[in-house]
Amino acid sequence: MLLPFYWVLKTAVTNENIYAYPPRLLPESPHLFNFVDVWYFIPFPRYLFNSLIVSVLVVASNVIFNAMAAYALTKSFPGKHAMLLVFLSCMLIPFQATIIPAYLITSKLGLLNSYLGLAFPLLSTIVCIFVFKAAFEAVPQSLVDAARIDGLNEWRIILRVLMPLSKAAIATNVVLAFIWSWNAFLWPLIITREPTMQTLPLGLARFLSYMEDTTGALYAFAAMVLAPSIFVFLMAQKEFIRGLTSGATKG
Amino acid sequence: MMMPRWAKSRWVVAPLVIAGATLAWNGYVALNDGGVVEGQVVDANGRPVPDATVILLERHFVMHNERQRTRTDGAGQFRFAGNDNHSLQLEAESASLGRSERRVMRLWFRAQNVRLSEPLRFTGKLP
Repeated sequence: MLLPFYWVLKTAVTNENIYAYPPRLLPESPHLFNFVDVWYFIPFPRYLFNSLIVSVLVVASNVIFNAMAAYALTKSFPGKHAMLLVFLSCMLIPFQATIIPAYLITSKLGLLNSYLGLAFPLLSTIVCIFVFKAAFEAVPQSLVDAARIDGLNEWRIILRVLMPLSKAAIATNVVLAFIWSWNAFLWPLIITREPTMQTLPLGLARFLSYMEDTTGALYAFAAMVLAPSIFVFLMAQKEFIRGLTSGATKG
Repeated sequence: MMMPRWAKSRWVVAPLVIAGATLAWNGYVALNDGGVVEGQVVDANGRPVPDATVILLERHFVMHNERQRTRTDGAGQFRFAGNDNHSLQLEAESASLGRSERRVMRLWFRAQNVRLSEPLRFTGKLP
């Protein structure tokens, strides 16, 4: 499973042709100058900054909005099942199919070429709402009732009771939202108007169009784009796995 | 004194370590980014070559373009100032000795102060 990552790193620290036969397992004369090239040939720090801003917006809004939506879905109200069905149905529609209306809405809101606009379609995601819903439903109702008797309102019940007991769900939200926003290509491509607002995946495409003999530098770029999401995953992997598997079995 | 529990969290320690390493690196860069490139030119026998022309070429995507020229002093030493690139090539030429090999120099950051570890060497063959 780690072999593709190793191959990316190995190619990044050499200038080997990836189609060379027989392939070499160990890098020959490794060096880190391809990373320096990537840093300087395109405005990498600017792309990194843009990607970080968008990811922070997406992660924060996902945790907040998804928790609120999930709490509502743990309650009984008329049309709840219909709403759940709508949510599940919406998960079947690929983003590419709704990208034109999403673009028009973002345009009407005046959010084109802005950080909020870049984050807009990912501010809340249905999968993560269901992750929170499963976590909240696992909290004993008696705890929520006790909190209500103690005088906590609904907001405080979410913040003080449910969220601290749903760390795995929060971690899952953080990791998934971060990876989705970090790797997004199509939406930033159509919504940005200036190179200074582009994110790292767009920078990768730009880098490819600039350079020719770039096997090593290209893989160095890929490694630099991958590194933050791998870092976040490694930091939260325990909670992430627990969050994904919670609710998988009953009893 | 006991450290608070949150201070030992990996979510605090790991970003702090990264921030510290970044600060240290930027400090090192700030102290060494004068853009000075120095070295020596010698002939095939290792003797310094005075009054040779040294050409500094810098990489621009796939090409290397000439950026500066200078001449060696009596001890064969040369010095460029104001380099602001990270991928360079150096070449020396002399009317009597021809051209030296072209030396590729990869720097860790733009305008890094650098001195050639090995001198530019004329092979002795005239063009």
